[in-house]
Amino acid sequence: MTQIKTVAGQDLRDMFSAATTWLEKSSSEIDALNVFPVPDGDTGTNMMLTMRSTMEEAFRAPDNSAAGVADAMAKGALLGARGNSGVILSQVWRGLAEGLAGKESITTADFASALEQAATTAYKGVSNPVEGTMLTVMRAVASAARDQVDSGNEDIISLLEVVVEAARDSVANTPLLLKVLREAGVVDAGGQGIYTLFEGALRYLRGEVELMRLRKPQIIVSEIPHTTPLPQTGVIDEVPYGYCTEFMLKGEKIDTDVIIKRLEHKGESLIVVGDESAVRIHIHTLDPGNILHWATKLGTMHQVSVRNMDEQHQDFLEMQKERVPTADTAVITVVSGDGLSDIFASLGATAVIPGGQTMNPSTKDILQAVESAPSDKIIILPNNKNIILAAEQVQSLTQKQVAVVPSTTIPQGVVALLAFDYEADFKTNTRIMENAISTVKSIEITRSVRSTKVNGLKIKRKQPIGLLDGKLVVAGISDIDVLNKLLDKMEMDKAEIVTIYHGEDVETAEAEQISAGITEKYPRIQVEVVRGGQPHYSYIISVE
Amino acid sequence: MTVKIVTDTLSDITGDLAKDLDITVVPLYVRFGDEIFRDRVEINSEEFYRRLVYEDILPSTTQPTPNDFLVVYEELAKETDEILVIVVSSKLSGTYQSATQAKDMLKAKCRINIVDSLSVAMGMGLIVIAAVNAVKNGANLDEATQFTRKALSRSRLIAYFDTLKYLAKGGRIGKAQGLLGSMLSVKPILTVKDGEMSPLTRVRSLNSGFDYLYNVVANAGKIESLAVEHATTPGDADKLVERFSSIFPKDNIYRSIISPVIGTYAGPNALAISYLEAE
Repeated sequence: MTQIKTVAGQDLRDMFSAATTWLEKSSSEIDALNVFPVPDGDTGTNMMLTMRSTMEEAFRAPDNSAAGVADAMAKGALLGARGNSGVILSQVWRGLAEGLAGKESITTADFASALEQAATTAYKGVSNPVEGTMLTVMRAVASAARDQVDSGNEDIISLLEVVVEAARDSVANTPLLLKVLREAGVVDAGGQGIYTLFEGALRYLRGEVELMRLRKPQIIVSEIPHTTPLPQTGVIDEVPYGYCTEFMLKGEKIDTDVIIKRLEHKGESLIVVGDESAVRIHIHTLDPGNILHWATKLGTMHQVSVRNMDEQHQDFLEMQKERVPTADTAVITVVSGDGLSDIFASLGATAVIPGGQTMNPSTKDILQAVESAPSDKIIILPNNKNIILAAEQVQSLTQKQVAVVPSTTIPQGVVALLAFDYEADFKTNTRIMENAISTVKSIEITRSVRSTKVNGLKIKRKQPIGLLDGKLVVAGISDIDVLNKLLDKMEMDKAEIVTIYHGEDVETAEAEQISAGITEKYPRIQVEVVRGGQPHYSYIISVE
Repeated sequence: MTVKIVTDTLSDITGDLAKDLDITVVPLYVRFGDEIFRDRVEINSEEFYRRLVYEDILPSTTQPTPNDFLVVYEELAKETDEILVIVVSSKLSGTYQSATQAKDMLKAKCRINIVDSLSVAMGMGLIVIAAVNAVKNGANLDEATQFTRKALSRSRLIAYFDTLKYLAKGGRIGKAQGLLGSMLSVKPILTVKDGEMSPLTRVRSLNSGFDYLYNVVANAGKIESLAVEHATTPGDADKLVERFSSIFPKDNIYRSIISPVIGTYAGPNALAISYLEAE
């Protein structure tokens, strides 16, 4: 059996490069190990993207010593860190690099101390470490390596075999440590990612490159059927808008079903409402001429309107550019959905980074926005709990003064941005905005991505579910049902304003209906409906 | 002879208060299309806001003519040889120009000092009231002028607007421009800074507006005088006064109606508070 006593810098790079490819193969399955059945669990994707950036930098390393490669990996991980799991992973590589400082190559003893340093640094990077997560797995890895060295093992491969075994046991044990995992019947996704990385590294050192091409990493305990990967949100600037085409069709015996059938694949946001004598049609299409031509055969056309939405959006962006900067502090925010993005810009956000659920921007993305903002003082609104850590990393990477106001929902981001005081200094503004967060209640309505049990609720796959301030509290038969159940749980007599941001798949008419329902139930409350255009969440609602 | 004090209608000092203070208030002009009215003489506040809301024509305001000031100066020169004129911020109106030109036109032997208040509404009104008190305590023209100039930095005006609609329609609004274009309905809170309208923050409801205005005063330190103004909703102003009564003697709170110049931008339902920090 082959033995390896030392690992050189090049080997270190190659083994984790192979491990990254190995991780990539199961990233969507790791994504599906999400505790919350909401589409915010892209732990696998986040770790994979973080690893890509880690290894890209490793290949650019100026020297090929183990220390040089590890340093480069740490740097790449820091810049590419996405989501909480990515940030913790970047701490692992930072710790490893610290542990390997000055080493030309690595012995088992070097490796064990570096892994210990990696685990310690990972724990330190989290303000409130939780057991049953990737932190626990990382500590198991470090402690197994230490035991091997203490018992005189000088072979890296056999050391790694024990380490991987320990990681596997630790991952399998995570549901025992963390109740939410137990309830959901899954192992910790981040822990699974760590296990997969070390397993991949081991397989590479064993020379199983060919085998790795054919096989896939194994998910440790998974009684839950895997979900299909969620669609990724596009970068906002690249979304083609086409033409917003609207008209009224008048005639006799118009069949709306026929119209829907004919038009549903001709564009997006199709709305067809009316009766057999008059129908209103709304569609976003790239070819309005074709649709209008066809419609003339069904009856007479009225109130025809075709607007170029790219132009509209461009005009909007131009208008925003012309706005005079009014304060020396810039606010940068992370938002997904064209409507929400425009709303944040209209409220004075200097930059809007596309991202959110299922698409966490990397530390580098946020850093770029910070560096290009026309101000030396920056406040970041992450609007998502998985982006807060990545945003906080930016503070150490820039000369600029950066504060993160930890908004975890869109409504929190909106109230924080609104509370911005044009005359207050940087610190005061950060405090004012932080305080504002608690003045709003956030409702999010989405579909469960799989069957599960959370907080005593039995939830079926694709069932409408409702979150209140990030906590899953109700499941129902429809969006409206979920909303009503949520509202019943809230102190609505104290509320003044309800703002409904409807998602990309929701028709304005339906949102208006929900608005009317709230007005009827709570006549004192002012209700506002705005198109958010966000993916995955049919409704995001703020109650103030 | 005692110093006589002159101001303009944008101080929001009118009627009985002006009489009690023994000051002369020169009206600006409010114009709806071809119709021109002397502010609070030929059009009262109720009528102004009614037309603002129900008519398509956006009103504009025009400074008093130099002659308007000259007439006042000539009249006052009969009984005094010292006049202190305190006018609306020169960045919001040309009133300062007219007052200055009239001074050069005056033939009577009378010294006139003109102070640009760099403020408006009761933010300026409270400065005028402080100046009147200084004169009552025996200040001569130069002392009163110096006192007034120093008082400018102690004055603060905060206005709550119910809507951005009128702010958007109005003309030059300085840095408040940054508040426009909001895609959510928000209620801006503004102040006057360096003589110009300047944004402070935004709230989403009247009650949050109340909270904000209350907190400003509660955190202001020791204050000498306080004023509460409304555009069309005296009931809301009453509620504010009631809240302030726990931190400031209720009977000493001045009440007034937001002048048409601010009203043109603020629209109906606006509220404003002004205070003068203690020396």
